Parts: sequence; C-alpha cells; structure tokens
Amino acid sequence: MAQYFDIDDILAEDELVPAVFKEAANGVGIFDSSDDTNRVEAGSKAELPFWLASELHLRQAVSINVPLVSIKSKLLIISDDFLMCCFSSVYMVFLNVRTREEIEADAAHVDLRKRCPYFYELGCKLAHLIDDRILSDKNIGPVLFVAFQTRYKDVLVKAHTSALSVTAKNLTLLTREETKLYETAQSSTAAFKKWKMGGPRFQKAYVLGRKRKPTE
Amino acid sequence: MSDHENFTIILSFFFRTMDDTLIAQMEFLAEDELVEIVPNMRMDPINLICGDFGPFRPQIATQVPLWLAVALKKRGKCTIRPPEWMSVDKLTQVLEAERDTGRVFQPLPFHYVEISRLLFDHARDDIPDIYMVKSLIEDIKDVRFHKIGTGLETISGRTNAVKLSNLSAMEVNIVRPFLAGALQTFYKLHNPEMVPESERRGSRRPQGADRGARRTLKPR
Repeated sequence: MAQYFDIDDILAEDELVPAVFKEAANGVGIFDSSDDTNRVEAGSKAELPFWLASELHLRQAVSINVPLVSIKSKLLIISDDFLMCCFSSVYMVFLNVRTREEIEADAAHVDLRKRCPYFYELGCKLAHLIDDRILSDKNIGPVLFVAFQTRYKDVLVKAHTSALSVTAKNLTLLTREETKLYETAQSSTAAFKKWKMGGPRFQKAYVLGRKRKPTE
Repeated sequence: MSDHENFTIILSFFFRTMDDTLIAQMEFLAEDELVEIVPNMRMDPINLICGDFGPFRPQIATQVPLWLAVALKKRGKCTIRPPEWMSVDKLTQVLEAERDTGRVFQPLPFHYVEISRLLFDHARDDIPDIYMVKSLIEDIKDVRFHKIGTGLETISGRTNAVKLSNLSAMEVNIVRPFLAGALQTFYKLHNPEMVPESERRGSRRPQGADRGARRTLKPR
C-alpha cells in the first residue's frame, strides 16, 4: 500500500472532521469536555481526526455530519435526519455552502490552504463515504474536480513563467498538493535557466565541505 | 482501488523534480549527434566503441560525433561546420511556421537546444551570423514553450494521455515532472468512484469502451 507510509497521506487523514456519536462511548471523555464523566453520550457532537472518524463510521458508531455554518445548510440538516437514519452524509467544514459558492465564483482565489491544506486528498477519501443518492446537489467529487481544473490553469501559467523571486499571493492559497506541482515546475525551469547560463559545471563533493573538528 | 494504487506508484517514479544532473544528462546524450567537421590535420582512423571515424585529411569534411568535434576544436585541430538546420534562412522559416500554426510544433532536431548551445560556446567563429542565429533559436524556443503552455491548459479530467508531437528533448524534460503530477491529480479526482452515477450514465458510454477523448495537441 503506497499510502500507508506516505507522509502526505498521514497528514491528510489527521484533519479534523465533525462527527456525531450514534452510541455512547466510554473512556473517551476527551472529546466532550462539558462534564466530568469519562464518556460521550449518544448524539453528542465532536471533532474527530479523519482516520478515527472513518473507522468508527464503518462500525456504525458515528455519523459524520454537517456543521451548522450557514442558514441554507441548517434547513438541509433537518431534512437529512428524516431521510437518513444510519447513512451518513459527509459535509465538512471546508465544503460548506459558502466555500462551494466561492469556488464557483472564482476558484483561483479561494484560500484553500487556510481551510484545509489537504483539500483534494481528504475530499477523495470522503467521497468514498458519501451517499450520493440522497442529496444529489452536494456531491464532493465534481466540486473538487472543477476547483482543481480552474486553479490548475493558474498554477501552470505562473509556475513556468514567473521570475525566481516573485511570490504571488496566489501561492499562499494553494493546497499542499498544488504547491508540490508548483515547486516541481519552478525547479525545472530554474535548473534549465542555470544550465543555459553556462559557467563551471563542477559540483563539489559533499565530503569536502565538511570540516573536521579539531581533536583536543 | 488496487488499479488506482498501481497507477499512482508507477507515476511516482516519473514525478521527480528536475535537477541539474538531469539536464547535464540531456547534454551528454546530445553530444552523440553527428556533425560535420573540416579537420586541418592528418590523422589515421580512430576506432571507438561507438564506431570508426576517420581517416582525417586536411580540408576534407568528415562526420564525427559532437563530443569529438568539440574536443578537436578545443585543441585547434578542426573547424566545425554548422548543421544545415542552423542557417538563418531555415531558422526564419521555422520561426514563421511556429508562429502561424497554433498547435503544431515544427519538426526540429531532437536536441536542438543542446546542440546549439554547445556550438555557440565552442565554435563561435564557425557559424555565420551568429547573433542572428542565436536570437532566432531563442525566439523559436519561447514560441514553443508558449505553445506547450496553452496546450496544457486544455487538459481535462478525461485525458488519459497527452501527445505532443515534435517536441525536443529539453522541452520534454522541463514539462515532464509538472505534467506527470498534474495528470496524476486529474486522474485521482476524476476517478469513477468520485463522479456520481447519475452524471456518468448520461454523458458517457459504458466504462469499458470509453477511454475518454484523445487529447492530442496536434490537430488531425
């Protein structure tokens, strides 16, 4: 499994997702600090890391839920509860209605890094847990895809043509994945420019640079 | 799922940042190209692993690999005749054609960037109108890069492969890491599991027969 040891994957799964406990759980009072008992009641909300939430979801112990961030989504929650009892619909903090609208308006300037640096990876994982039949207008997949498509054009153009010291403000908006792409393009153009300049092409051996400590 | 992982693993080998050694390797490979030299000394044929060259007689042109030509030139034993594609007329023609055709790349020698740079460095006096030639090659390079950029903008999620004809070695190596990464991300995001069922069924044929549109950057 290539993903087990991948650092980016591990970090992506560490993002917090809001979840609702469907059953009471003992010994995990750390999630619910409202009272002193070391347990979490059924129906209480908590923010869990994704790796924990998905495992518990597979065991039907939690349902990942939408946080109440905007009025529109509140109405949908009420209808959610009626329609789905044990299905889970996955709406993350970073995929609320406001973010979606921003993406539709101008994907290139949405600050995805602030919301979630692992936007695309986490979205892919969440898509496995989503149930599309219930609310067809809340699909994560197309949103991710459209967002990436528009931002990708921007990244492409800027990466290859910008001068070395220019740091556009767009750079701070990119997720981890996009930054990786950007950096590869930057490094290849930089290497090409350096080669074009010519000059001595000798590389000093690494061992020569290390000074020996004087023995005392 | 396992198919997807295999794809990711394979692509991760190509998704490597470019470093100086890679470009130096390109230059090394470019030096194998044959060029014509006019020696000014007399020498017996030399037998190398890659082939036999010579005999060298004064004022008689012979074909040798570029590395040998540069080495002889450095010792003052020959003059290098620039390759035929490197004349002002031919290059102007190529430049015009590049500027006119939107998506097609003109056929150029695979290593034209490296060869031209090597010749500029070592054989300045052998190339007529060197400044003109230099600026023409720079322009051609810029136009082609720009074309690559505009072509890559049109990659969508259904692209399985990107075909760029007549690209030169240096250009390929510069865009390769970025392109591999971008294609990988597009593939991941456009996985059939991600796109909902209802959308798929309406717009596509069944999964087996459909490979997506062939996104060639050269119109047929």
